[in-house]
Amino acid sequence: MIEWVTEPLSHGTTLRALVEIILIGSVSGVVGCWVVLYEISYSAESLAHGLFPGLVAAALLGLPLLLGGAAGIIVTALLIAAVARYASDHADTAVAVVVTSLFGFGVLLALSPGTPPGIQELLFGDLLGVTDRELFAAAAIAAVVLAVLWLSHDRLMAIGFDSGSGRSLGLRPGAVSALLLTLVAATILVGVQSLGNLLVAATVIAPAAAARLLTHRFAPMVLLSVGIAIGAGVAGLYVSYYAKTAAGASVAGCLVLAYVGCAAISALARRAPRPHDGFRAAAGPVSRAARSPKLDPS
Amino acid sequence: MLEPFSSPYVQEGLVEILLLSVAAGLIGSWLVLRGLAFYSHAVGTASFPGLVLADGIGFPAALGAFGMAGVFTVISSLLGRARRSTVDSVTALTLVACMAAGVIMASDVFSSGANVDTLLFGSLLAIDSGDVMLAAASAVVSILAVLLLAHRWLAKGFDEGAAGSLASGSRIFDFALMAVVAFTVIATLSAVGALLVAAMMVIPAATVRMVTSRLSTLQVGSVLLVAAEGTLGLWLSVKTDAPPGATIAVVSGLVFAIVAFARAVRPSRLVASALALVALGGFAAGCGSGDDDSGKVKVAATTTQVADFVAQVGGDEIDLTGILKPNTDPHEYEPRPSDVEAVADAQIVFQSGGHLDEWADQLVDDSGSDATVVNLSADLPVELHGGEHDHEHEGEEDHADDHADEGAHAEDEHASEGAETEEGHAEESEEHADEHTEEEGHAHEGEEIDPHWWHDPVNVVAATEEVEHALAVASPENADYFQQNADAYVAQVKQLQRQIAQCVKAVPAGERKIVTDHDAFGYFTNRFGIETVGTVIPALTTQAQPSAGDLADLEETIREENVEAVFPESSVSPKLAEALSRDTGAAADYTLYGDTLGPDGSDGATWLEMMASNANNIVLGMTGGERGCEFEVS
Repeated sequence: MIEWVTEPLSHGTTLRALVEIILIGSVSGVVGCWVVLYEISYSAESLAHGLFPGLVAAALLGLPLLLGGAAGIIVTALLIAAVARYASDHADTAVAVVVTSLFGFGVLLALSPGTPPGIQELLFGDLLGVTDRELFAAAAIAAVVLAVLWLSHDRLMAIGFDSGSGRSLGLRPGAVSALLLTLVAATILVGVQSLGNLLVAATVIAPAAAARLLTHRFAPMVLLSVGIAIGAGVAGLYVSYYAKTAAGASVAGCLVLAYVGCAAISALARRAPRPHDGFRAAAGPVSRAARSPKLDPS
Repeated sequence: MLEPFSSPYVQEGLVEILLLSVAAGLIGSWLVLRGLAFYSHAVGTASFPGLVLADGIGFPAALGAFGMAGVFTVISSLLGRARRSTVDSVTALTLVACMAAGVIMASDVFSSGANVDTLLFGSLLAIDSGDVMLAAASAVVSILAVLLLAHRWLAKGFDEGAAGSLASGSRIFDFALMAVVAFTVIATLSAVGALLVAAMMVIPAATVRMVTSRLSTLQVGSVLLVAAEGTLGLWLSVKTDAPPGATIAVVSGLVFAIVAFARAVRPSRLVASALALVALGGFAAGCGSGDDDSGKVKVAATTTQVADFVAQVGGDEIDLTGILKPNTDPHEYEPRPSDVEAVADAQIVFQSGGHLDEWADQLVDDSGSDATVVNLSADLPVELHGGEHDHEHEGEEDHADDHADEGAHAEDEHASEGAETEEGHAEESEEHADEHTEEEGHAHEGEEIDPHWWHDPVNVVAATEEVEHALAVASPENADYFQQNADAYVAQVKQLQRQIAQCVKAVPAGERKIVTDHDAFGYFTNRFGIETVGTVIPALTTQAQPSAGDLADLEETIREENVEAVFPESSVSPKLAEALSRDTGAAADYTLYGDTLGPDGSDGATWLEMMASNANNIVLGMTGGERGCEFEVS
């Protein structure tokens, strides 16, 4: 039994993958709670496309690719926040507008002959190809993102639950959601280099969505979310080892199964009476902030 | 001014975009009103497992995509109904689940080819009658849906909370809206490509939404704006020779930005509109096109290798366009207007064959070209199966699988011409004879062959001769010139083959073992008697991933067989090869050219250079860096 657990870890590739899942899981589990609360899953799934124009520009200017990618994804995040605030009814519309335009711009830039081949693949990694450098990067970004989330917890909470009262406290919803999108962008930047886009989207969204089904209070939700991210992630890695299925997809699949399991538990639990139910009404200001003229049917 | 619209393929693209603008504008308005942009993105992306299944089992890709879109719509509307407050995460998770299923099927069940990513994606410059029919159908469906259902959708309004109590029957209409969205998305995707879905469905409607609050204005305005932006984008793309999808996306984004800016600085809307026109006009004026008619034979070649062979034979007497450039990723490839024009004008189109450039046939048909298509892999002296490379390495007993294609060798001995190589090779064949399965070398009717045929010089000689025949037919007055060039080139190829064979032979037979990134080198190892004991990536699509178990087994194999090197490829991320290298001590420093030649100025810019570089690196890798091969390559 013990051997069954330790044997995969005697292989360097699997061991590093395990450490990376734990590191990324502990930050994405927390970030994910805010992503779910603010309903910005589309951003979490699509922000990685913002890397592309930055990468191409950096390659053409002779700058380090990582720098270009980072600039690209942060600019994408800030533009999404700005468009969502000033120019569209729905945050999702803003994501589609910004990501599509910037990606198209990247494709046009990449036509110039100076662009190296396969540039889009350069920053995208595979769970089993994780390097020690990426482990350190993941640890560092986890520390920074968690620290910033800790410091801005009250602000995020005030805006996330009720942007009206947040504003009366002197907070600016646009600035707060821009901050959140930047943190999500930083998590994704580190995540896609070691895990690839599919798996990062899964580790950010699935554990938090699952945890939200089981609890209505924020602190337990965060703890549960981190636990699910690490537990389901590690389980997925063992499945990939013993069943020999694609590593990243197996981990992503286990995370989705964890969500399905939690949905089943919550459906069963709902038959029993519940003490209080205040959490579900909360919706993000990003998605509900209608800045356009009211629509009247004609 | 209007001359870009004179070519037939551009006119067809214009018709297509005008037809699509009806559905994109009408349904796009509702996407924007209801905040369904994420859903529309997800339903298109989630078609991937449908494409993998279609390719693996063998039914039309469009069927797979529409089927998958249906499944996605049902799942997400069921789950979304169960818990309204988490529609956003449910959409994301359904998408993740679909993608994970697709990746596992592509990697572990079907060993999918590189084409599954692109099976569905069309281009505005390559429109066939099926695309036009689909666009017309989507226009009709969207008009009917809006006429019949818009008041129902409106009853639910934009305040979901209130509507829930007012109209309990609204769910069926919601579902209808999502189904129409899914249909429009897949129709757009398959006709004009993934990038244009959001560029046509979301951005224009979001732009119009900023300046109107009337539903009818929004719908009509969106249709008109999609049509205008599409037409402008197509015109610009022909003027500047850029891919139309990306151009339309950027044009739409700019118009959105200008309108948003104009709204912020309210009184100056007129000024801003003028600004928009000036900006776009300047953008358009940036490039012009100059045509020169030299009277030479016009020839197009699909891949970088094929273009090199054709250039070697045709020399100065042909006007050659290579369609794939060394820096384009074939997976992301969207044809540029000049590519389509080159194909439309070409007398001969040379094609590599197999999965790598299946799109070429369609491009020839859709561009209205009457070119002769020459498929260089139609009649090769050495043909290997594609499928048998892709097996996993469950343990030592499986190694024979990779080597099974050695069998091909015995059969092609008589066909090949490099006499000196044959000796070394025959020995090698015998040595491994016990490992061979009874597979035959030549692919049978209907079976896929491994498309990387050019890694065997014997095939290159045959391809060169085929190129020469085709060119001589098209331009009889230059036949002697082509013959001369071809003979000179064949001599170089044969000389290089002898040199490589000698260089490889100097490595003891037991040490000729390599692990490659993906299985592109079957022809090379087969020709020169090298054993591939494993490959890192289980399938050819960029979506494929290895499993933790297979990679661990591969590490064992590398240790047991004393494999000295794992070879990354120039067009694939080296991370997995490097990870294996860290754990096993095998080197990962020697990069090979697999699917494409290198860019100009690299050591793999021509086929001869690529071959010399690969051979040098493979020998360096097998000998632990002690010895490489020095070749004189012109």
